[in-house]
Amino acid sequence: MPVDLKARAAQAVEMATRAGADDAWATASQSRDVEFEYRDGSLEKVKDTTSQNLALRIYADGRYSSHSTTDLNPDRLRDFVREAVAITGALEPDEYREITPPALFDGRPTQDLDLVDDTVATLDRDQRVVWCKALDATSRDHERVISATAGVYDGTARSASASSNGFTGEQQSTYCWFGSEVTLRDQGDKRASDWFYAGGAHVGDLPDAAGVGREALQRALVRLDSQKGPTRKATMVVDSRAAASLIGRLLRPATARSVQQGQSFWAGRIGEQSFSPALTIIDDPLIRRGLASRHYDSEGIAARALPIIEGGVVRNLYVDTYYGRKGDMTPTTGEPSNLRVATGDKPLAGLLADVGDGIYVTSWLGGNADGTTGDFSLGLRGHLIENGTVGAPVGEMNVTGNLVDLFARLATTGNDVYPYSSTLSPSLVFTDVDFSGA
Amino acid sequence: MKRRDFLGHVAAGSAVVTMPGFLTGCGVQPATTAADPTPVNPFMSWFGVDQAVVARVMSELTANGADAADLYFQHTRNNFLQLEDGIVSSAYSGIEQGVGLRVVIGDQTGYAFTEDLTLPSMLAAARTASAIASRGPAIAPQSYDPMAAGTLYSTTVPWSDVGIDRKLPLLKYVEAQARAMDPAVDRVSVYWNDADERVMIATLDGRLVTDHRPMTRVTVTVNAKKGDEVQSGYSNIAAREDIDWYTEERLKTMVREAVDRTMILFDARRPPAGEMPVILASGASGILLHEAIGHGMEADFNRKGTSIYSDMVGKKVAEPFVTVVDKATIPNERGALNYDDEGNAAGATTLVENGILRSYLHDEISAKQYGLAPTGSGRRESYRFAPMPRMSCTFMEAGPHTKDEIIEAVDRGIICETYTNGQVQIGAGDYTFYVKNGWLVEGGKVTAPIKDVNIIGNGPESLKRITMVADDARLDTGGWTCGKNGQRVPVSQGIPTVLVSSMTVGGENAG
Repeated sequence: MPVDLKARAAQAVEMATRAGADDAWATASQSRDVEFEYRDGSLEKVKDTTSQNLALRIYADGRYSSHSTTDLNPDRLRDFVREAVAITGALEPDEYREITPPALFDGRPTQDLDLVDDTVATLDRDQRVVWCKALDATSRDHERVISATAGVYDGTARSASASSNGFTGEQQSTYCWFGSEVTLRDQGDKRASDWFYAGGAHVGDLPDAAGVGREALQRALVRLDSQKGPTRKATMVVDSRAAASLIGRLLRPATARSVQQGQSFWAGRIGEQSFSPALTIIDDPLIRRGLASRHYDSEGIAARALPIIEGGVVRNLYVDTYYGRKGDMTPTTGEPSNLRVATGDKPLAGLLADVGDGIYVTSWLGGNADGTTGDFSLGLRGHLIENGTVGAPVGEMNVTGNLVDLFARLATTGNDVYPYSSTLSPSLVFTDVDFSGA
Repeated sequence: MKRRDFLGHVAAGSAVVTMPGFLTGCGVQPATTAADPTPVNPFMSWFGVDQAVVARVMSELTANGADAADLYFQHTRNNFLQLEDGIVSSAYSGIEQGVGLRVVIGDQTGYAFTEDLTLPSMLAAARTASAIASRGPAIAPQSYDPMAAGTLYSTTVPWSDVGIDRKLPLLKYVEAQARAMDPAVDRVSVYWNDADERVMIATLDGRLVTDHRPMTRVTVTVNAKKGDEVQSGYSNIAAREDIDWYTEERLKTMVREAVDRTMILFDARRPPAGEMPVILASGASGILLHEAIGHGMEADFNRKGTSIYSDMVGKKVAEPFVTVVDKATIPNERGALNYDDEGNAAGATTLVENGILRSYLHDEISAKQYGLAPTGSGRRESYRFAPMPRMSCTFMEAGPHTKDEIIEAVDRGIICETYTNGQVQIGAGDYTFYVKNGWLVEGGKVTAPIKDVNIIGNGPESLKRITMVADDARLDTGGWTCGKNGQRVPVSQGIPTVLVSSMTVGGENAG
């Protein structure tokens, strides 16, 4: 029988206010997750779990703290909440801490985001094993394969929130993903490897499992005989699958917290043309079946499409209620959802043809960026772009620069949006990038 | 400090509570309550999980057969405090409690967990995990043999007995020190973590292991301002210690590092791009070992043949002065463990001995496949995960050279000093680490500061290229966390000053 999460959240709010909190916000959540892993022709791991949690934010006497527990035994939970209120009282008061005002959560969207597929709950062992076998067969279909692991991952997540100032809400979503990781014998002791996973909220949206296994194998095969790339300045084409992580690094300090704390290169840029006119990024939590779609964020703030960058001009930052008040910024949301990156009109092949000569990046390896200055340096692997096509595989290289400069030199974007990420980005083309290799 | 003293603080109104609420009735009690010592086995004391319950659940878990099986009970209380803009106005506390149930049969693993430690719930989870197997029931023990408690990180006061009143002044002290150290320091934040993790592991072969694993970490971040230019830096220290570990001297050293690392950034530049000799400063440069060899030596990759080191045991991989060890038994280290998360005594594993590749890091599954004893390297993030081979404290032993000799030997290269993160590709052996601070070396002399470069190399190639190892081996004091297949575990690392004759340095002016 499903737990009444709404009631659980409401009870927690009541416990907190009875224990002395002026305001409280509680979120009760529950999830079921199933994992099947199949390696080299046999089932290797089955994991089937149900998890529960209660999270609580407490506002008392001008003070604030947050708490969470997986121990929902009623007696111990009451002690936990009492203790949480007591901990809050031991902190220093903070004039900027206030529970989310109703104006930010009233009238939030109710449209059906289609995030729940009831068939996920009815998936059985046989179906998952059928997928595993199909993935396994195609991902191992080459003489160089040393090992391949296929996996099926599915589940359901539910949560309900309640607050002392009138918020109640419930969100639910399902997911079902599958794919393979493939390792091939390469030169000497080296192994070439790659992976491919596909998935989403609905089982019906899954591509053919055999095709996914083939794609994983293909991605590993093109890594064979990879060489260290050159040290040079060149045009960089970032594959749509690798683009999400680069966009993520750009947006990481685009928060009220980073700006208010003086640790963001985004400070003072609202309304400014900071990046290339080719760059538009919209945060859109209301995409049907979107991987990060929602009606409200963890603070209850109503979901709406939020332009972050339009034509290179900075429009909005991620502003939560606390750092919004503290930094004198109007709250938007503190948490990214789906990101839509504007597309151009050419497929990847067209971008490569136009570039002619350069480096095509297919994945990153390590690296980091300084959010205060934007300086970054990232390891990468990919291919040379030779005569406008994908050339020899390269690796053991770095790309180094500054994120603001880099995204100012975004020349164009493709029309090849990678669908299996909440960052819906096409391939990206940057000019004059510093690479280091041999 | 006894609980009575603690409650005394509460009565005085100055302190509060991080006492565990699961001690029934102990939420906020009168100061007359007698102190009860932390129970030897909290799961039995707090949740009524006695040997009979363990035996019953183990029988259910192995009802369809098992070569190995374990129950991993865990109760972790985390506390977090944040000082920002001069006040400590944000705290977080969390309880993570549950039991993970694992059954292994041949190469197959069935896994389930439950956060509800009632018998019906645990039996249901056991049935779910057992569905992987389809043999007759295994013989499950009816009684368990409690293993001796470990002593590597026995602390005087559990974190659950330390009120916020004792932590607040330490955060304030760190902030004040940072401000006092340089007038350019513009903003200081301090982040405090402490945790009491208690585990009880019951195994199919009848062992019952309990371990109390304290952990604490303090991080200071500094913004410094010169004109319009702002630079940020940080430092942290971490250990399996109690509050007495935070001496003024230790905190001051941490703050000094953070301020120095930040101030040098005003003068630091990017080095030139390309291949060059790289000197790894002692301590935190142990990240090289973690990425270049440590992960590749984890036996789960090798039993599948997916690591570049899969066929190298017994072969020469480095100069004779290179010895690399993974050792969990260093008292109070962040990566230290009395027992691993499969209930095996943690120990030391020599990965490379005088240049020869010696042993992988094994969990029970890989050890069985290789016909070896487990190395005590089976670790997991929490009850939510099945264990796998992981590192603990990974370091290189001292070598025959000196730091000065190494610097003098480099005509044009860099020194790497502080790091933020690293990563490795197990199959290709390519690995990277990100250097936050370092120095340019020209003509055998340290010349100018550098910053923000990624370094990339290939594991086995870099090992071969370690041409000098100094005598100044030390462990880093920073709070490193290692992620693998979605599981994060605390680790330590260390190294003496080392010269790698060539690596690829991210940089500018690539021409």
